[in-house]
Amino acid sequence: MKLASSKKVLEKSLTRRKFLKISVASGAGALLGANLLEKVSGLENSLRAGKEADYPLNNPENIINTVCLQCNTGCGLKVKSLDGLVVKIDGNPYSPWTMWPHLPYKTPLAVSAAIEGHICPKGQSGIQTLYDPYRIRRVLKRAGKRGENKWISMPFEQAVKEIVEGGRLFSGITGEESRTVEGLKDIWALRDPKVFKEMAKDIKEIWHTKEKEEKEKKVKEFQEKYKEHADKLIDPAHPDFGPKNNQLLWVHGRLKSGRSEFFKRFIQDSFGSTNFHGHTTVCQGSLYFTGKAMSDQFDFDEKDKKAKWGGGKKFYWQADLTGAEFVIFVGASIFEANYGPPFRSNKLTQGMVSGKLKYVVVDPRLSKTAAKAWKWLPAKPGTEAALALAMTRWIIENEKYNLKYLSNANKASSKADNEPNWSNACWLVKIKDGKPGEFLRASDLGLEKSLKTKTLKDGTIVEYEFDNFVCYSGAQAVTFDPNDADNSAEGDLFVDTAINAMKVKSVLAIIKEEAFRFNLEEWAKICGLEVKDIIEISQEFTSHGRKAVADIHRGVSQHTNGFYNVLAWYTLNLLIGNFDWQGGLSQPSTYDNAGEKEGKPYDMGKLHPKKIPPFGISIIRHDVKYEETTLFSGYPAKRPWFPMASDIYQEILPSAQDGYPYPIKALIMYMGSPVYSLPAGQTQADVLADINKIPLFVASDITVGESSLYADYIIPDLSYLERWEFQGSHPSVIWKVQPVRQPAVAPIPEEVEVFGERIPISLEAFFLKAAQIMNMPGFGRGGFKEGLDLLRPEDYYLKMAANVAFGDEKDGSKAVPEADDKEIDIFLKARRHLPQGVFDADKWQKALTPELWKKVVYLLNRGGRFEDFEKAFDGEQLKNKYGKQINIYIEKLVKIKNSITGKGFLPAAAYLPIADSQGKAIEDEKEGFDLNLITYREIAQCKSRTISNYWLLSLLPENFILLNSRDASRLGFNDGDLVRVISQSNPQGAWDLKAGQVKPIVGRLKVIEGIRPGVTAFSLGHGHWAYGAKDILVDGKIIKADKRRSAGINANAAMRIDPYLKNTCLEDLVGASVAFYDTYVKLVKV
Amino acid sequence: METQEKKKFSRGDFLKMAAVAGTSCLAGAMLNPRDTAARGDDTLEAPAVDLSSLPPEIVNKNELLKMQQDLQRALKKPRGARKWAMVLDLRKCVGCSACTIACKAENVLPPGVVYRPVMDEEVGTYPRVTRRFTPRPCMQCEKPPCVPVCPVKATHKREDGIVAVDYDKCIGCRYCLTACPYNARTADFGEAYTEGTPKVQDYELRPSFEYKKKWPRKHGVSPIGNARKCHFCVHRVEKGLLPACVTTCIGGATYFGDNNDTDNLVSELISRPNITTLKSELGTKPKVYYIWG
Repeated sequence: MKLASSKKVLEKSLTRRKFLKISVASGAGALLGANLLEKVSGLENSLRAGKEADYPLNNPENIINTVCLQCNTGCGLKVKSLDGLVVKIDGNPYSPWTMWPHLPYKTPLAVSAAIEGHICPKGQSGIQTLYDPYRIRRVLKRAGKRGENKWISMPFEQAVKEIVEGGRLFSGITGEESRTVEGLKDIWALRDPKVFKEMAKDIKEIWHTKEKEEKEKKVKEFQEKYKEHADKLIDPAHPDFGPKNNQLLWVHGRLKSGRSEFFKRFIQDSFGSTNFHGHTTVCQGSLYFTGKAMSDQFDFDEKDKKAKWGGGKKFYWQADLTGAEFVIFVGASIFEANYGPPFRSNKLTQGMVSGKLKYVVVDPRLSKTAAKAWKWLPAKPGTEAALALAMTRWIIENEKYNLKYLSNANKASSKADNEPNWSNACWLVKIKDGKPGEFLRASDLGLEKSLKTKTLKDGTIVEYEFDNFVCYSGAQAVTFDPNDADNSAEGDLFVDTAINAMKVKSVLAIIKEEAFRFNLEEWAKICGLEVKDIIEISQEFTSHGRKAVADIHRGVSQHTNGFYNVLAWYTLNLLIGNFDWQGGLSQPSTYDNAGEKEGKPYDMGKLHPKKIPPFGISIIRHDVKYEETTLFSGYPAKRPWFPMASDIYQEILPSAQDGYPYPIKALIMYMGSPVYSLPAGQTQADVLADINKIPLFVASDITVGESSLYADYIIPDLSYLERWEFQGSHPSVIWKVQPVRQPAVAPIPEEVEVFGERIPISLEAFFLKAAQIMNMPGFGRGGFKEGLDLLRPEDYYLKMAANVAFGDEKDGSKAVPEADDKEIDIFLKARRHLPQGVFDADKWQKALTPELWKKVVYLLNRGGRFEDFEKAFDGEQLKNKYGKQINIYIEKLVKIKNSITGKGFLPAAAYLPIADSQGKAIEDEKEGFDLNLITYREIAQCKSRTISNYWLLSLLPENFILLNSRDASRLGFNDGDLVRVISQSNPQGAWDLKAGQVKPIVGRLKVIEGIRPGVTAFSLGHGHWAYGAKDILVDGKIIKADKRRSAGINANAAMRIDPYLKNTCLEDLVGASVAFYDTYVKLVKV
Repeated sequence: METQEKKKFSRGDFLKMAAVAGTSCLAGAMLNPRDTAARGDDTLEAPAVDLSSLPPEIVNKNELLKMQQDLQRALKKPRGARKWAMVLDLRKCVGCSACTIACKAENVLPPGVVYRPVMDEEVGTYPRVTRRFTPRPCMQCEKPPCVPVCPVKATHKREDGIVAVDYDKCIGCRYCLTACPYNARTADFGEAYTEGTPKVQDYELRPSFEYKKKWPRKHGVSPIGNARKCHFCVHRVEKGLLPACVTTCIGGATYFGDNNDTDNLVSELISRPNITTLKSELGTKPKVYYIWG
C-alpha cells in the first residue's frame, strides 16, 4: 500500500542516519572503554514481549522502594523496573517527603504499588545518574601527571594491593621514576588499642596543663614513657599530633549513616586515624554549629565527672510548614533547593491558596519561592543579622515578645507552664570591662555550691558539686539548676544592675543592646530595605502566637558572619517561643540504626574485636583550643583553629598543603568534589595536583569528576540506586523516620572477590579487600566478633536495618510487624533482577535471626520506617520534641579565643561586617569590583553530580550570570553577552586547574528584573570540565567528551581568597562555613 | 525549555519531513480508518487496585488519593460517559518541571518531544516584579483543530474526550503540529539523549505503553516518525492510575478527573469563578482549565 511505503520513506529519511550514528556509537563505547563503560542490559527481554500490553509498572513485583540522593533531601523513591532496567522513578507513598499525608505504614504493598508520590525533576532523572554512559566499571590508575586525565584500567585486586603495599607505583611517569609511595600498611603504624587509650589520656593531661614549663615537662615525660613507640608518632616533639595513622586522611562529600559507620570502621576503628572529615561547611556549617552551641546543656559529664556545657547536637531547626501561618524564609528557596522541594512545596502552596498561610522571602534574587510570596525583600547579602536585629528591636520596643516563656529559667518553670523547652534568656551574665563574660554563679554571690549525685550507666553513684546559675526576679537574685525539674526559677527579662558591686546583665538585656545599636532607619539602610516592610513583617511575625516562624538556610549561614546571622534569627524565633510548636521550629527525629540504644539487636559500634579510639589534633584543628596544644606560639596562628565546629571542608586540603599541624601521606576521598564545589576551588586543585603534599590519592567515584580527576587511583563506586545507606531525616520533617536506601538495580561496576565472596566493586569492596590484605581486625571472618563474620556489605547493613525494624524500645514493643508469606514472596520477586553478588536470599537471611529477617523484609518493602501521619502532633505542640534548654547566650564563646587575632568572640546575636580571617573588612567594592556575587540553586541541577542527567539539561541546557537591567544598562551589557568574572583574588578570571589547564570563568548574561541591583548570581551545577565534559584517555584510547556537559559557568574560582591564608576561601571562624556570598566581582565583556 | 525543544524540531530534518508530508498527504485520502478494536484502546478495564481500604481521614486530607478514588469510580462507567478534564492551579505551580520530566520518563520521549512544558516568565520591573509559571499540556479540545487536518484520521477524538494519535496510522505529515494553536504537538525524530556518548543507553530504547500498547523504540517502528502529544496518560488512567504529571506535581497544582461526575474535585474546581482556559476566543473548548489567582 502506498501509505506503508510512504511511511517507510519517512522513517528512512528521518531515522536511518540517526540510528546509524547510534549503533556506531554503541560499538565504539564497548571498544573504547574496554568494557569500562559498558553494562548489562535487560532490554532484550523487554523487546521480546508482545505488542498488546498490560501496564506492568504498578505491579509490586516490579517495584523497589528506596531513597533518593540526587540532592541531600532524602525523598522516598519508588523505583520501577522493566526486565531489570530501571524505567521510571516516582515518590514513595509511605514516605512523608513524597506524599501528604503519607500512607499508613501498614498499607499492603498491592495498594501502595498503585499510589505514587510526588518527586522533583532531579528525582525523576536519577535514571540518568545510574545509566550515565561515562560511569566507570573498573579501577582506573593514573598514567600521566596528576590532572592530565590519562589512565589505565586495572584489576581491582592488583590496585588494592598497590595502595596497601606502596612502592614505586608511578615509575612509568616522567618525574616520578624514583618516587616511592608509602602504602596504607606503612601508615598504619600504631595498632594496639590500649596504647591509643593511654596516649590519649596523657595528651589530655598535657593539654590541660596551663603553665608552659609544666607542659614541656609533661611532653618530655610522654616521650620517655612511649620511647618504644616514638617511631610511630608523627612528631615526638608534638605528641598531640598523634600517631602516624593520622596521616591517612579521609574526606567525604555526601555521606549518610550506614556507609558512614562502615567507612569509619575502617579509617578510625581499625586503622586508627582521627582524620575522618566531611563537607558540612560547604553546605550550611554555621547553621549546624550554631545549632550545636545552642543545644549544649549544662549537665554532669560522665567523662570529666563534673557538670559542664556539653552534649550539643550537630543539628539545626527548621520551620514546620504543616501548621505555620506566617513564615519568613531567609536565604532559603524551598521551591528550588533547601530540604526540599517535594517535602515542603505543597505545604506552602496549599496553605497559601487556602488563605491559612502567608510568607515572606528575604533573598537578593527573586527565587521561584519569592515569586509567590506576600513580600519579596531583596536584602543586601551579608546583612541577614541586621534584619533579625531590626525586628528584634521592634519586638522589644513594642513588647511583643512572649514574656511568660522567656521568663522561664529552668526545666521546672517550663514544665509548670506546659512549655516544651526553656532558654537562658533571663540568666544573668557578669560584665567585665563593659563586656559580657561568664554567667553569674551562686558562688559569686557567696553562696555554697550544692552537692548532687548522679547514677552512671554502669550503676555506680557519683557525687559532684554544682554551682547554681542566677536570674533576677523583682530585685531578688534567684539561683537555680537549669535541669531541676522540681524547683522552678523565673527571671526578669531586661536586667542591668550590680549585685555585690558586680556588674551584671541579663542575656536579653545584652541582646537588646545590640538590637538598639541602630534605630530602624539605620538597620533598614544597612540591609537595603524599607522601614515600612520591616515593621509590617515584625507585626505579622508577632500576630500568630507560636504559628509564626523564620526559616533560615544557606543564605544566612554561608557568610564570614554566618554563625552570628544564624544566632540572630534563632534568637528572633525564641522571642515568640515557637520551638517545638506546630507551625514553629522543629527538629529531626530518627529511628536508631547504629543500635546504640539499650536492647537493640546489634550495637554496631561495639561489634568490633579490636577497636581503636583515635586521638590527636585533627588536620582541621577542630574540637580543641589552640592555646592548649603544644603548637601554641602566640597569635596569629598559622591557620585558624575551630573549637566550635567539625567537618570543615575548605580547611582539609589547604591544611595538608601547609603541613599545619602536620603533613599527610595518603588521602581517600569519597563522593566529594572540593575543586568543583568550594569557593575558590582552584586552591583545592593546587593541593590535589601536588604529589609532594598528597603522596597517595585514592578517590571513590562513579565517574571521573572534577576532583577525582587528580587521583592516583579511582575506585568505581555504586550509585545511590545500587547500594545501601540510612538517610536519616531533616528538621522540617516532624515525623520520626528512617528512610532506607537499598539496592534497587543490578550494579553497573564489575563484580570482584573479597574474602571469597563475589560482590560489586564499591568502596565497601575496597575496604574489605584492603582489610583482607592487611589482615586488619574488624573485617572478614569474625569481623564483628568470634563467629560473626563481616564478609559482604549486607552483613553490615542488614543488621542496621534490623535495628530500625526493631524500634527504639528495649523490649521490642515498637518493632515493625513481620512480613507475611505474601509480602516475602513480593520481596523476593521484586529482586529477581538483582545478581547474586547483590542479592542472595540465603545469605541475606543468614545475616539475621529468622524473626528479625521477616521484620526487615517488612521494612525494606516500604523503603524504610515512617511514623504514621497523626502521630506527629501533641495538641498544638509537636510530638517529637527537642524538649531541652535552648542557649541564645553561648558561654563557651567567651572562654575561647580567635586563634588569628587573639581576641575573644561575641557570645550572643550580633551584626558583624563581612571580614577576612584577621577580622579586616573586605572592601573590594571600593577597588571597582562593583557587583556582589552570589550563587543559588535551580531545581534542575544539584552542585557537582547532576550534569549527566540529560532530561535536566533539556530543562536548563546552560546556566547564566544574572544581572539586573539597571546594572546592565549602567555597564553597557546586553542580554546574552558573554562576560568574564574577575575579582580581587582572581584578576585574570580563570580556573587554574594545573597540568597546564586553564579554564576562563566566562558565562552568558541574563538580564532580568528579579535581582537586587548591585548583585550578580549564577546557579550551581553547570560549567563542568570533567564528569564527561572532557576527553579522557583510558588504556591509550580516547573516550570523547560530551560537550553538553561543559555548558554554562561555575564562577567559584572568582570567589575571594583569604588574604592571610592565601590558599583558602573566606570563612566563618566560629561556625566554619565558607563564604559563598561575600565576594565582589567585576564583569568584563568577552 | 520550550524554546530549546522547538528549535530542535524546526531545524535539521525539516525539509525531508516536508517532502514526505507532501506524498503522504496524497496517500491519505485512500485510507480506510481501522476499527477501534484494532487500536487496542477500546476495552473497559476494571480498576487495577481497590483503594477503598485506605482510612478516610488520610484520603480526605490527600488530594491525590481523593482524585484517584474519583477516577476509579469513573472507570466503572462506560467510556462514553466519562469526560476527562485537567485543572492547573497556577497559584500552586512552583515551576519545578517535575511534570515535564515525569512525562518524559513515563512516555519515553526523545529529545525534541515534549508533552508538557512549563513556561517561566518574569513580569514587572524591579522591585515590583514576579514570575509566572504555566504548564502547558495538550488541551484535549472539545473542538480540536488538529483532528480535521489529519489526512489519515490518525488524530481523532475518543468518546471520553481524549484527543489521541493512532501511531499505526500516523504518517508524520505534521499538519497537526501547525494546526494546534497551543503548540502542544511535537514530532519524534528518533533521537536519543545519549547519542554521541560512549553508548546509547537502554532506558531510551525501552518500550512505552502509550494507548495501552507496547511501543519499543526501534528503527521502523512507531512512534518514531510520528507526531506526538499528551494523551492524559490514558494507559495509566484506564488502569486506575492518575496521569504521571498529576502524581508528581510537588506543588499540588495539577488536578485530573471526570468532569461528568459532579461529585468530584475536578468538577468542583471547574465550577469556580476563577477558572479559565487558554485562548478561549478560538472556540476550541479546552478540557484543560487554569486557575489564575
